[in-house]
Amino acid sequence: MSLYDIIINRIKKVQGKDEENEPVTSIEASSTLAAEITLLSSLLVAVIMLRFFSNALMIVAIILVIAIAIFAMPIMPRLKREQNDSLNGMIFYVILALGIIAVLFYWGNLNV
Amino acid sequence: MNPLIPIMVILPIACALLLNLFHTKERTVKILAIIVAIALPIIPLIANYGLHYFGGYAPLAQNPTIAQGLPSFITSSALNIFHPAITYSFESAQRLFIFILGLIAFLAILTSLSETKKASGVYAFLMFMGVAAVTAILLTDDIFNLYVFFEIAAITQVGIIIASKIKGNYETALKYMILGSIASPLLLLGIALLLGITGNVNITDIVYSIKNGLVNPQNPVLLTACGLIIFGWLYGSGLPPFHTIKSAVYSKALPHGAALLQAFSVFTLVALGIIIFRIFSYLPFAKVFIIAISLAAMILSITMALMQTDVKRIIGYLAVGELGYIGLGLGIGTAFSITAGLFQAVNEAIITAFLFIGFGTIIYKTRESDIRKMGGMMIETPKAALLVFLAGLAMAGVPPLNAFQSKLMLIQSSLNAGIPELGVIMILMSIVTFMTFMKAFYAVYMRPKPRDLEIKNEKIPKATLFSMIVFLIVCIILGLFPQVATNFLQGLANSLIV
Repeated sequence: MSLYDIIINRIKKVQGKDEENEPVTSIEASSTLAAEITLLSSLLVAVIMLRFFSNALMIVAIILVIAIAIFAMPIMPRLKREQNDSLNGMIFYVILALGIIAVLFYWGNLNV
Repeated sequence: MNPLIPIMVILPIACALLLNLFHTKERTVKILAIIVAIALPIIPLIANYGLHYFGGYAPLAQNPTIAQGLPSFITSSALNIFHPAITYSFESAQRLFIFILGLIAFLAILTSLSETKKASGVYAFLMFMGVAAVTAILLTDDIFNLYVFFEIAAITQVGIIIASKIKGNYETALKYMILGSIASPLLLLGIALLLGITGNVNITDIVYSIKNGLVNPQNPVLLTACGLIIFGWLYGSGLPPFHTIKSAVYSKALPHGAALLQAFSVFTLVALGIIIFRIFSYLPFAKVFIIAISLAAMILSITMALMQTDVKRIIGYLAVGELGYIGLGLGIGTAFSITAGLFQAVNEAIITAFLFIGFGTIIYKTRESDIRKMGGMMIETPKAALLVFLAGLAMAGVPPLNAFQSKLMLIQSSLNAGIPELGVIMILMSIVTFMTFMKAFYAVYMRPKPRDLEIKNEKIPKATLFSMIVFLIVCIILGLFPQVATNFLQGLANSLIV
């Protein structure tokens, strides 16, 4: 493989467009499918709860989830790749969660 | 003063120190570990309810000898009822939680002594220290004392992973510590901010200060403290964003170690969750956030469990997903939902320990945990297969087993609270949990055995089967007679709402 191919494969890997090298078994395929359906259906039902805050927000969120589902499917392989055991990935999400909590609890509560 | 209350913490600590001291003497380690492990679930059953003040320093209102010499501006103020000493509170809910924790600890220690070739005093030391730490977290009414034992629990969990000799355990332990080094100081900062605003570390006194206007409930520093303490709670219990590291922790421990670690996580979630509810339930956003994070835990963890190929990772992710049910019970915020959530915590601790020890028999026999390389184990271990199947039914919420009762109560409470969406999601996740379990069960037990799968240990120890049968009996009793547990929990749930 030339240096150019290595770089292209690396970029594809970061973008999530690289092909899996291992064969996919039927159990893995059906598990991924079941997980995908579970994720989308539970997200849609959860988003309906936004009706307690604002009906308009709920409608926008539902349309957004459906649009993401249509254009970004399959989501589960990407979600699995994001939730790997990499320390960098975990620290990123921990700091992100901390930031969201700090913002929501400090500024969110002041206006509730 | 009830001496049995501090003994519930001191006994396992003392036992742990002695086991560490005599770790080279295998027979001494085994006898001491078994005796104290038997005592762990018995002591909460015989102890009387009440408060224990360390050093004997009761509040001034209960101590007229000291109070009569003090000026009236002290005795007529809130200082009269504030708690000067570290206080441990032992009521009906704590009795149930510490009994279940003691039972799981006893069975996990029994299993570990029977499955390992040589009894390890150091490993038993870690298990007993962890039990002592979580017992103290359940009993304490002092938020700084809670933090001390929270840190001890975290360190013992790291030790239990390191002692397992499973490939990748050091790396996972180090990652858990690094993430802990972010979350724990922030929890401490939240506690420090609470101390700064209220002038108290006693939780009853903090709640009194907030409810009686001694501090401004909408103080931004107090709100920040709420956020930080919730962040520490997420780390201790394994809710997102810590769900991946928690399931990794369970997968890198030995099965009996994982059974105990998940019990630690469940009871830490319960204890800290109750404290957060007691102090911050006046903030509607706190309950909304707890519901949101619990939903995230359920959805992310249970979908990830479907994608795993390591049996311990599957059970680990399912365990984290089931924590979401407990959080939903607390977040809905009614007395019925809190009772249901706490009952679900008790059930989940038992069932997950049952599943870890059950699938642990397969790992014991084959030294293999990848479901792609397993199969045909129903012929090798028919009794264990039946027990594991019943554990899976229990986790999915099939009657007449225990999780059915708690999940039904949770769904009913969500309907009563006017949030049927939560009920729908809970039912959906129960179905997917069962689907995930059946995938693992089929792969391990039902499909033909691969030719290259070797059986390393022929016989499963009787102590392991005994542990599984005890768990099954508890599941059936709580499934047929849920009031055996809910009667202990209703008092706490009602006090949280008032």
